[in-house]
Amino acid sequence: MERNQTGFWRLAAQCLAGGIALALVTLVAFKLQVNLTIASLLYLTVVVLMAFMDAFVGSIFVSVISVLCLDYFFTQPLFSLRMADPLNIVAVIVFLGTALLITRVMSQRKRAEAALQQVLGELESKVQERTAELAKSNDDLRGQILERQRAEEALQKAQAELAHVSRLMTLGELTASISHEVNQPIAAVVTNGQVCLRLLALETPRPEDVRTTVERMVRDAHRASEVIQRIRALAKRTEPQMVSLDINDVIREAILLVQREVLSHGVSLQTELASALPPVLGDRIQLQQVVINLLINGVEAMAPVTDRPRDMLIRSQQPEAGQVLVAVQDTGIGIDSETAERLFSAFFTTKPSGMGMGLSISRSIIRAHGGRLWVSPNPDHGAAFQFTVPTNA
Amino acid sequence: MKDAEAIVFVVDDDSSIREAIESLVKLVGLRVETFGTAQEFLRAERPDLPGCVVLDVELPGLSGLDLQRELAAHEIKLPIIFITGYGDIPMSVRAMKAGALEFLTKPFRDQDLLDAIQQALERDRTARQHSRENAELRKRFDALTTREREVMSLVAGGWLNKQIGFELEISEITVKIHRGRVMNKMGAQSLAELVRMTEKLELPKAKDQSLKTR
Repeated sequence: MERNQTGFWRLAAQCLAGGIALALVTLVAFKLQVNLTIASLLYLTVVVLMAFMDAFVGSIFVSVISVLCLDYFFTQPLFSLRMADPLNIVAVIVFLGTALLITRVMSQRKRAEAALQQVLGELESKVQERTAELAKSNDDLRGQILERQRAEEALQKAQAELAHVSRLMTLGELTASISHEVNQPIAAVVTNGQVCLRLLALETPRPEDVRTTVERMVRDAHRASEVIQRIRALAKRTEPQMVSLDINDVIREAILLVQREVLSHGVSLQTELASALPPVLGDRIQLQQVVINLLINGVEAMAPVTDRPRDMLIRSQQPEAGQVLVAVQDTGIGIDSETAERLFSAFFTTKPSGMGMGLSISRSIIRAHGGRLWVSPNPDHGAAFQFTVPTNA
Repeated sequence: MKDAEAIVFVVDDDSSIREAIESLVKLVGLRVETFGTAQEFLRAERPDLPGCVVLDVELPGLSGLDLQRELAAHEIKLPIIFITGYGDIPMSVRAMKAGALEFLTKPFRDQDLLDAIQQALERDRTARQHSRENAELRKRFDALTTREREVMSLVAGGWLNKQIGFELEISEITVKIHRGRVMNKMGAQSLAELVRMTEKLELPKAKDQSLKTR
């Protein structure tokens, strides 16, 4: 009801406006004594205006009134609805046809526009809907990524801790060898100190000999201290720090800690370190740990060997641009291809002592460095463990 | 204690230890030669002097205990002073049983090492003296005739001249002549000395015939 009423008032307003416009046009045209053609054009203007303003009913109303006005005011006989000239009749009919046609075209255009508007509106809302959906899934994804990152961080932390514990265990196993490595230079310092005391007690002083001896004491004390620093670095629990380092330094430092262990098992260790290798990006301690693990592994693999020399070789080289390779070869009992892969799984061990964590941890360390750790049998005896680390380019 | 007529061999794989011991031993006036491995020491030509070996137990390759065995197998009777970083008891027992003179744990007191070296050199000197004497005795013994050796063996076994004559089917006078020659050739002043010489030469002593005569 309400809408019908407003519709009605709108129509009334349209008709009223049209009526006023027509009255004005009629007044002006009549005063100016214009002919039928001009008058028709003026009325048509009103019709077009009405149609343009989206007043369909008003436009029809104006068309009809215009025809009556034309007939009444602008065709002979004046002031009568009769028309003498048949040409005028045709003109008035053409006027009416044109006016109605315009009205219709305009209204169709309006309707099409409205439909278009509606489609556009629907499209808009759909786009908004989709955008909202996308935003939501984006948020979900972001949450998942965050969660994943957190999980990865937790995993890395756990791995670092495991690596630390395993380092401590390795150090524990190496206690005898490492303490020997410290004791040796200290024993030399003690003896040299005693030599110094004896030199100082001589009747004829020998300052040159005292100097040489003290210099040796300083050198040997440094050597002992260096071993202790290496142990402390390995024993310390630190976050992995990726820095640019020379893999040969890492190998040499690792050898410093295990050489006694190697010797005491009757193993002769050779090194073939390629010179001028590009630096790698890695954590010094963790890479040292891997090298130590592989060396100890090799030593233990050769323990049952009695009928051939126990030789171990550690090599470094650059097989291709972008990575550096380290290989530890032994002449031990070797491994068959079935065991080869299981070697790297946690808690797998062929040894009576040991938890079977060394190789598994070593592999996860190398993986975290973006490298690869694998094992292959030697052509004659034993196995070769090899790993790659990307260079720091 | 200047004693250039003796030599100390130091075998240790650690160059710092070698240097330190070398300067200590040199300081007391002894000759020193150092070696990094047991093999090096075995290959080296050793001067014919009283000497001893200061030997690291934990040598790479051939260990100190292996070297001790190797020396014994080659009848090289150099006294051995072991030095070790660990000083574990079973190891030292093994070493001492195999004839080591001393077993010192690094770091050791300088005087302990020097005392051990002195003792070792003294022992080697005595051993060399003995072997020199033995060689001299052996030379003299080798100069005896077969008959004289028979007579010497029986005399040292406590046989009377008469018994010897009977045993060897010769006259007592001849036995006396042989006996005199033996005493003379061997440089023995008395019967007792001759008996000691027989013991040193580890000759098969003839069975004591004193009971048989009764």
